[in-house]
Amino acid sequence: MRIAVYPKCEKFLTSICEWAKGCLKVIQLQLQSCAKMRTAFAMYFIQALILSAIGDVGFVSCTSDVDDAFNEELMLKPLPSGHVYAHFQFTTLWRTDIETETFQHSRLFPRGLGEIIGRHNVRELHVSLTEGLWRYEKWGYPLQDTGSGAEVYAWFNDDRRIDENWKSLTNALAGLLCASLNFVDVSNSLSPDFTFRPSGAIPRPLNSSCLRYSSLPREIVCTENLTPFKKLLPCDSKKGLATLLNSAYIHNTNYHSIAVDVRPVCTNAACTQTTIELRQTISLVYDTMTTDSQDWSVRKLFGIGLRSACPLATLSRVYVDVTDNETSETYRLVPEPPETLISLRGGQENRIAVYDIKSLSNAGMFNVAAVHSKAKIYGVEIPPVLFANRYVVGYGQERGGLVTKLHNNYWKPLDVVLLENIPWYIPVYTHTIRITCQGKLLKPLIKRYVPGRERERPYYLEMVLRLPPRSVTEFSIELDYLFLKWQEYPPDANHGFYMGPAIITSLLPTARNYTALPQDGSTISSSFNASRDGYLVQLRTEILLVSLPTPDFSMPYNVICLACTAVALAFGPLHNITTKRLVLKPSKKNKLVSYIREKLSKTKVDKIE
Amino acid sequence: MSTTQKFVFFALAATIRLLLIYSEYQKIIADRVEVSTALNSWKKVTEGVYLREAGIDPYTGDLFHESPIGLVVFSYMQKYLSLCMLCGIFVFTDLATAWILGATAYRYTSELIATEQKDIQKRKKESNDEELSTLPSSMSIPASSVTSSALLVPSAYLFNPYVVFNCVGLTTTVFTNFLLSAALYSMINKSRLCSCFTIAVLTLQGLYPITLMVPATIYLARNEEGKNKNFPYGNINKTIAMFIGILIALYYLSYKVSGSWSFLHSTIGFILTVPDLRPNIGLYWYFFTEMFEHFRWLFVASFQINVGLLYVAPLALRFRRDPMLLAFSYLAIAAIFKSYPCLGEVGFYMALLPMWKHLFPHMQQGFIVSCFLLSCTVFAPTVWHLWIYSRSANANFYFGVTLAFAIAQIFLVTDVLFASVKREFSLRHGLSREIHGNTGKLLLE
Repeated sequence: MRIAVYPKCEKFLTSICEWAKGCLKVIQLQLQSCAKMRTAFAMYFIQALILSAIGDVGFVSCTSDVDDAFNEELMLKPLPSGHVYAHFQFTTLWRTDIETETFQHSRLFPRGLGEIIGRHNVRELHVSLTEGLWRYEKWGYPLQDTGSGAEVYAWFNDDRRIDENWKSLTNALAGLLCASLNFVDVSNSLSPDFTFRPSGAIPRPLNSSCLRYSSLPREIVCTENLTPFKKLLPCDSKKGLATLLNSAYIHNTNYHSIAVDVRPVCTNAACTQTTIELRQTISLVYDTMTTDSQDWSVRKLFGIGLRSACPLATLSRVYVDVTDNETSETYRLVPEPPETLISLRGGQENRIAVYDIKSLSNAGMFNVAAVHSKAKIYGVEIPPVLFANRYVVGYGQERGGLVTKLHNNYWKPLDVVLLENIPWYIPVYTHTIRITCQGKLLKPLIKRYVPGRERERPYYLEMVLRLPPRSVTEFSIELDYLFLKWQEYPPDANHGFYMGPAIITSLLPTARNYTALPQDGSTISSSFNASRDGYLVQLRTEILLVSLPTPDFSMPYNVICLACTAVALAFGPLHNITTKRLVLKPSKKNKLVSYIREKLSKTKVDKIE
Repeated sequence: MSTTQKFVFFALAATIRLLLIYSEYQKIIADRVEVSTALNSWKKVTEGVYLREAGIDPYTGDLFHESPIGLVVFSYMQKYLSLCMLCGIFVFTDLATAWILGATAYRYTSELIATEQKDIQKRKKESNDEELSTLPSSMSIPASSVTSSALLVPSAYLFNPYVVFNCVGLTTTVFTNFLLSAALYSMINKSRLCSCFTIAVLTLQGLYPITLMVPATIYLARNEEGKNKNFPYGNINKTIAMFIGILIALYYLSYKVSGSWSFLHSTIGFILTVPDLRPNIGLYWYFFTEMFEHFRWLFVASFQINVGLLYVAPLALRFRRDPMLLAFSYLAIAAIFKSYPCLGEVGFYMALLPMWKHLFPHMQQGFIVSCFLLSCTVFAPTVWHLWIYSRSANANFYFGVTLAFAIAQIFLVTDVLFASVKREFSLRHGLSREIHGNTGKLLLE
């Protein structure tokens, strides 16, 4: 197939293939004496090896002509709390312009996703499906921030028919990822001014009218989302790091997040040409403390060892962050890392063991393991520079309050953007906003507010705050709980309604606990030694569950009857009073009684006679 | 005597209100759904004023439903007045309402006595009927009731717990009630400009008081009726034209103040389409919570026709001789059936009742109605707490209470109107209910 697409490499590849076939024949002859089973295995193994070799050679020789590339990386990081953080990143780069590309032909880029992007005039797309909560105080900053549940935001090339495009885009994504993104519509979408900026190349300044953001905190992430996600990869889950993505091992983690990010990036420094960058990431946090030993390995985490690299990948690596092992040597990595990098970034030094899968998998299936020689003692966890919590206060289903606490542990003031995404069924009173810090009122530098409308628009509140050094700032607002129509309640209405996370954006001056990619980088390797002026973080707070008052769902007929009766009770007498005349009539009430009495007395008289 | 009594009453009422406002109960009362609705809550007004100060159009949101003119007035109030003065204004407005109602009652009762005397004299002359000359003294209204109703009406307003809660809850219904009393006073004083203006302002704010134009027009037209027998077309047209002119001017002013017509959606639209389903003492909230989406507009339309249109013409024709009673029945029907009723409005029309003290002997359901009202007033907060806070009851309980409350009010209104009809009958035919020696029964046919 590849040969057909790239005629230039045809000759070379054909010869390679012939060579490979020849090799196979020789090996087959040699292995003929072996047992049938073993033969099959060996053949499969060798075939895989050779195929990967072809892939390699093909790429190396054709890079100048091929305009796309694929990288797969896995970052393993033992967290100070005893958890292990595994972050997969699959990056596809395609040298073409996102605005003019028709997505009719693609090689490594998933065509299904491409068509969706092309049809809806999308400039940048970020979708994430997350289960669990990233604990910033304990775990530091992740490589990618995602809010719990489903989160999607997109920049469009222009704002013509944008609401239509947005609705259609989320519907298409719902189909592509098997997630309930079709529930995204204007009533739960925002266009924040500050929080989200285009992260990739932009030909002209875009304002927030080209942006739509929405979150579905109720969304549950499961296998049905992982399978279509894997299908977007060039090697599917048949080869490479994606073979580690077994749903049984992924969905029993403390936190897992699947994300797809598409953006245009500059190909060269002058940005005369752009490349479409597709980043597919999976973040997982495993709890190693609950198991018998603190040892962990690729096989233990994912249930399978690493067999091979994806033959289509240019870069296929596993990184292990061994910074915490530096001071107290509690574990050693098996096999010994062939290379250990020292990454200096924003005052933080990290030691990273690098395993190149391509070279290591030649020897067969391999496993990266951390073997503890002595029990690891967990020390005090130093919380990151900035983190936040959010919670609902008050009791009863009538009214309450929302509190967001922002912690600044830095020795200098920090400017943050706070985006509160409040659904329309929880109306808030802006005059009750109180931002207090150390007992003093804090004034926001900038405040944007668009009041919500029932069933039409959420409450949008965005503020720029300057957090004083080493402080906890508390933002609070009063809210009501709305009474909805009976058909608007979800099944199990008493479970409550979810409220999406608040997003806190800041440019940190220091890279302490910071692992995310720089904005100009595409691969995990670009985050090593990447010192910049500031480090962008976008924290997501907890999602909240609020309990709205519910009607009795079995009552519609009764209520309609009873209320109409009340109306009729007024209508009847008023109709009589206004249309009829008052007359004095002999009372009829006694007629029947007197009639009966008459009859009775008559019979008595008869008897006597 | 009367003046000192009045002064004592007003002072006592002011003290009760101020004590409650400065107590811890103020917030509890203000947060009650029966007292504060989406239309009159002071918290929503504060939010609207805050948004206006922040340069955000409050009508883009869902929380503010006052008229733009009201918004300007309230924003000046909140800007320049301290909290103490603000509370003072609420209490003062409530007392002023009571005073105006007293003056209205005085005027109404004296007029009623005069017309009834004249009527009887006239009929005596015309028919020489023996029965009328033997009209029992209990039937005619004694002259003392002029002063007594002038005292009873304001005290019914000042010490009505519903009105007190309304004032303590700092709802804008305090001002609506003030305007309503002003409208009643100006219509009985036949001041065309004043009544048209107050009713126009009320219409701008709450839409339903537009029906008050009917009694106002009758009052204003009555003057000429005595002089020439022709139907006073000119007078009626003049009144209606003035009302429409003022109303249009007010809407245009609102448009100028708010800068767009978006306020219509948040005021009239909000009242008519009933999007807010927060419970209140009315019938709409649970009805439209449980409504099938398919039939929503049918029932919204029929409920609105029921409150706004259906009874206007029949009642106007029936009670054209007593426009004040007509105004009362309109106000009561609106307070029962409007989309966001509150206790303040119920209290207002109930305070008018002593004006028809002479009808009380003809009423039949006074005891039942008062029992109903009392038990509903007690049960409503109880079942609300059970439903919303302890979650051991559900919405049906509260709905039951509001239903009972509405039915009690319906009984009250129909009873008053029926009593009026019966008294009219008795004035013509005497109190005797006998036909040829047999006891008869009054029937509507």
